[in-house]
Amino acid sequence: MIPAPPLVAVVDDDESVRESLPDLLRQFGYAVRAFSSAEEFLASDDLARTDCLLLDVAMPGMTGPDLQRELTRRRQQIPVVFITAHRDRIIRRRLLELGAVDCLFKPFSEGALRVAVEAAIRGEVAASLLLPAGTY
Amino acid sequence: MTERVIPRKEVLIESSVPGGGVPPASMDELRRQIRERETRVRVRTRELERKTRELLAANRDLERAIAERKRAGDRLRRSEALLAEAQRLSSTGTFSWNVATDEITWSEQLYRIYELEVGMPVTVERIRSRVHPEDVSLIEKMRRAAREQRGDAGFEWQYRLLMPDRSIKYLHAVAHPTRDRDGRLEYIAVVQDVTERRLAEEALDKSRSELARVARASSLGVLTASIAHEVNQPLSGIVTNASTCLRMLAADPPDVDGARETALRMIRDGRRAADVIARLRALFGKEDAVTELVDLNSAVREVIALVASELWRNRVVVRTELADDLGPVTGDRIQLQQVILNLIRNASDAMCGVEDRPRQLALRTDRVAGDRVRLSVQDAGVGLDPESSRRLFEAFYTTKRGGMGIGLSVSRSIIEGHRGDLCATPNDGPGATFSFSIPCGSRA
Repeated sequence: MIPAPPLVAVVDDDESVRESLPDLLRQFGYAVRAFSSAEEFLASDDLARTDCLLLDVAMPGMTGPDLQRELTRRRQQIPVVFITAHRDRIIRRRLLELGAVDCLFKPFSEGALRVAVEAAIRGEVAASLLLPAGTY
Repeated sequence: MTERVIPRKEVLIESSVPGGGVPPASMDELRRQIRERETRVRVRTRELERKTRELLAANRDLERAIAERKRAGDRLRRSEALLAEAQRLSSTGTFSWNVATDEITWSEQLYRIYELEVGMPVTVERIRSRVHPEDVSLIEKMRRAAREQRGDAGFEWQYRLLMPDRSIKYLHAVAHPTRDRDGRLEYIAVVQDVTERRLAEEALDKSRSELARVARASSLGVLTASIAHEVNQPLSGIVTNASTCLRMLAADPPDVDGARETALRMIRDGRRAADVIARLRALFGKEDAVTELVDLNSAVREVIALVASELWRNRVVVRTELADDLGPVTGDRIQLQQVILNLIRNASDAMCGVEDRPRQLALRTDRVAGDRVRLSVQDAGVGLDPESSRRLFEAFYTTKRGGMGIGLSVSRSIIEGHRGDLCATPNDGPGATFSFSIPCGSRA
């Protein structure tokens, strides 16, 4: 029997990301669920079986870092890969220090996405604190 | 005094008897002679009284004149004392310079400004010994220009003194030509020590420009970040969709429907990115330009007020010749002021290395043919070489260190947006003149 593919959850308020990213992740062979807000993800049944969370930083309502903190509080150990359209190295550094696997700046390459998601699923830290990955 | 003037009657009578001592022929004759003498005496007395009155009046006038002169002397002394006090309080000295004799006279305060002993003879050598070495040639040029002066135009210049203790004084001088009694050219000048004001202004200016820099950097940073965010979102969609699309096409068999779907999304995201750019253009482009009646003269004055301290710091002397009959133009006041500001800054920058002549900046407005209004900005700077004349208005072309090379190309597009033209011409003497003309009361 073929084992079920790892589940990647995408949380982003931007619709084009929610449309495009799952398709690409499915091409990599993952199962994907997309959510338009942190609140929606927290309320879903997929929370407990998510292997990797692709999380937007700036969202209306609960932000990406807010969700990360809430997951820690609930002792939900889901590896987080942040994605953001703000190319800010200081914020990236802080997110990595708080335990994110990586932080990708939009637009990011297919390769960078793949490396980050694979590292998250293997339970590794993919990103170097010094060199921002996933940049074109 | 009066005693001396009035003569004694008896003496007069005695001396006025003709052939005194000769006895009269008869009593009648005697009476006649006496009457005659009496009449003569009366006439002489009246005459003397009149003379006396005249002398008294003259005396009173003289006394009055003496008193008046004394008062005038007092007034003059008081006024001189006041003037000296005013010169001391305002750190302003005066001097006169007779060009023909080279005779120079200083006020006390000017001696104090130069820190020389009051009253010592003023020579060109002595003045030069105090002038900052970098400004000596400027002073020489001014002297030459003043000698050759034909009209009645005055001079205004700024220079520095280098004191024996190595401190620097900043002086601002204004001289007006006049003629001495023999009709020879003479200058009367006012010299103000503006060191304190200048240092205060420099400090203020430094903090002001620092503030402006921080404000500009932060607002530009915020702006850039938000533009980048808006553009990165659709770009991210495009890149992801393109990756997906390629993978679907490379699959065996290819997922053509899926690929088509992702390609359509790319088109949509591409349009979204273009929309962001269009919004930005609307925000900064000339579509949003405000159209109003603009008085170019007052627009010029406002800009000068804005950059006055900057020009002052660069030792640039501004002369304005603004035409009274200038009609209003229709256009965007802020945009036109940006152009004026840009031309003034360029002119000032062009003169920053000039040490051998006054850094004079002339701003003129006038009406020109075809019902147009013209503004020209004339500098005495490095001027234009043929290469830069040709490329001056190209974007990203610059002759300035640290220049972006966008000022003049933006200025030209603003002026062309006002149906005008902007051009540069070399001066007969040193420097260049930039001018634009735009039609009165009309706009594209």
